[in-house]
Amino acid sequence: MTEPIVRVSGLTKVFRSYRREEGLAAALKSLVRRVQTEIAAVSDVTFVIEPGEMVGYIGANGAGKSTTIKMLTGILTPTSGEIVCNGFVPDRDRTRYVATIGVVFGQRTQLWWDIAVVESFKLLKEIYGVSDEDYRRRMALFDTVLGINAYLHQPVRKLSLGERMRCDLAASLIHRPPLLFLDEPTIGLDIVAKANVREFLQEINRKEGTTVLLTTHDLSDIETLCRRVIVIDHGRLLFDGPLASLRDRILPVTSVVFDVKRAPEAVELRFNGLQAREIASHRYAVDIDRRAISAASAVKEIVNRFEVTDLMIEEPQIEEVVKRIYREGIA
Amino acid sequence: MAQGSGVRRHARLFGLYFSQYAKARLEYRADFFSAVIASFLGTAASFAFLLIVFSRVPAVRGWKFEEMVFLYGFSLIPVGIFNVFSWNLWMFADRYLIEGRFDRVLLRPVSSVFQVLFESFRLESIESIVTGIVAVLWASRRLRLSFDFGDVLLFTIWATAGGVIYIAIFLGLTATSFWIEDRIGISPPVFNLMQFGRYPLTIYDAWVRFALSFVIPFAFASFYPTARFLHRIEFGKEFWAVPLVAAISLSIALALWKSGVARYHSTGS
Repeated sequence: MTEPIVRVSGLTKVFRSYRREEGLAAALKSLVRRVQTEIAAVSDVTFVIEPGEMVGYIGANGAGKSTTIKMLTGILTPTSGEIVCNGFVPDRDRTRYVATIGVVFGQRTQLWWDIAVVESFKLLKEIYGVSDEDYRRRMALFDTVLGINAYLHQPVRKLSLGERMRCDLAASLIHRPPLLFLDEPTIGLDIVAKANVREFLQEINRKEGTTVLLTTHDLSDIETLCRRVIVIDHGRLLFDGPLASLRDRILPVTSVVFDVKRAPEAVELRFNGLQAREIASHRYAVDIDRRAISAASAVKEIVNRFEVTDLMIEEPQIEEVVKRIYREGIA
Repeated sequence: MAQGSGVRRHARLFGLYFSQYAKARLEYRADFFSAVIASFLGTAASFAFLLIVFSRVPAVRGWKFEEMVFLYGFSLIPVGIFNVFSWNLWMFADRYLIEGRFDRVLLRPVSSVFQVLFESFRLESIESIVTGIVAVLWASRRLRLSFDFGDVLLFTIWATAGGVIYIAIFLGLTATSFWIEDRIGISPPVFNLMQFGRYPLTIYDAWVRFALSFVIPFAFASFYPTARFLHRIEFGKEFWAVPLVAAISLSIALALWKSGVARYHSTGS
């Protein structure tokens, strides 16, 4: 058995804040006694990740995903619990530890905003102590897979979101870290850019054995990349296991939304075991269980029955998946 | 991952950060030179103030005009060093803590103080260092002070230590932003007191002297370092304590910073 690359046990992060009450009297009172509120963003989370795994870390907004990633990367100090990554305790051995990991935050660039991308890379080369030879090889690889040479001489602020994300990914891997953390790496990207990012991650994982932990809102990221999923809700671990056993909980959540010219009668809303519900004026939704019926045949049914003016298929939402796990449990 | 030895690596990184900044700054040359001129006008105005005071009172409590110029000119050097290197700290709470850039800083295998200090500079404040040296040379000639090589070396080290003291005080004050979540912080009011340390300490009441020496040691950054060169032997002890005060201030500031970083709670996303 190899030693796990990430070991987390009993990880907890409590944020303390002082509640501000309204009114002068309350403000004066708070000088003497402040009302402290505690929010556990992450509580008692335990898991291990083996080298070479690609793990999806999912949960609704505010579930504690980012807080976990920030503790794993040494940005935040845990309130209690233990983390060992690459043999380091992240917040204690910060500078030595971060030399061995790559991190990408989808919402915020890690590059210097005002200088040309290539200058950022040169700085990072020095910061991580990458040799000239390795640097050249690395940049060649990034260009082949991500095509970054086209905008290497532009400052980051002039790049599109997709271009910026490619650069951020490249930057996070310049020193060939064995462990990569990605927080929402595909947020705001178009379909082509998303596919590009996913392919790149698969290639890095396959060729270099890079271990990846990623959070995302896009369940298709998880479906293409991860064999294992960890679900967290209200700071607690809700599920940790193979994607396959979660898939049955993800697929049924697809729903078809359609607009009609003429509002149908109540009895017409039930057909062939499907049930349409009104979600707005002249707009209906049908939740379909893809284990029982394909999206295509559901669409065919709907189009045959109603005078449809517009129709879309809504991808499963993480919030919905989490709800279902609560309702139905995990087999 | 090979990273070279600490000091050499940091020196190289400093060079890179600095040249990176200078390149971006000098891209707009006209803008840079007008900033230098503006900075010089500010320095000139403070000298004009000295001149006006002295045109009324021939000697301020036993200080000749030339001695005042020496002292004030000397103080421009540590102040200049301070302004060149700690400019980024003014924006720390706003840019790094509230906007959340500090996350990125913590993700790099370089000390966070190093990164925050040297990600930006205030290049035009080099003017103040140059003006200070010119003022000191002028005053020395008038006062017939002679400098041998040892004096020049002392002068250089003491001026640098003065700069370190200013930077350390400011760094310590900036570190309080980790506790006090506020855009401005407590630095500006304290730094308004900086001027006091740039005049002869003997003109103040005892409690002011005490405060400027042992509470916020501004006097160690500019007044005491000049004592030996102006032959004020009564301040000999304080003179030799300057590098020690610099080291202590810096250690306190770094310790404060370190415990602040452990408290850092990032911005939610």
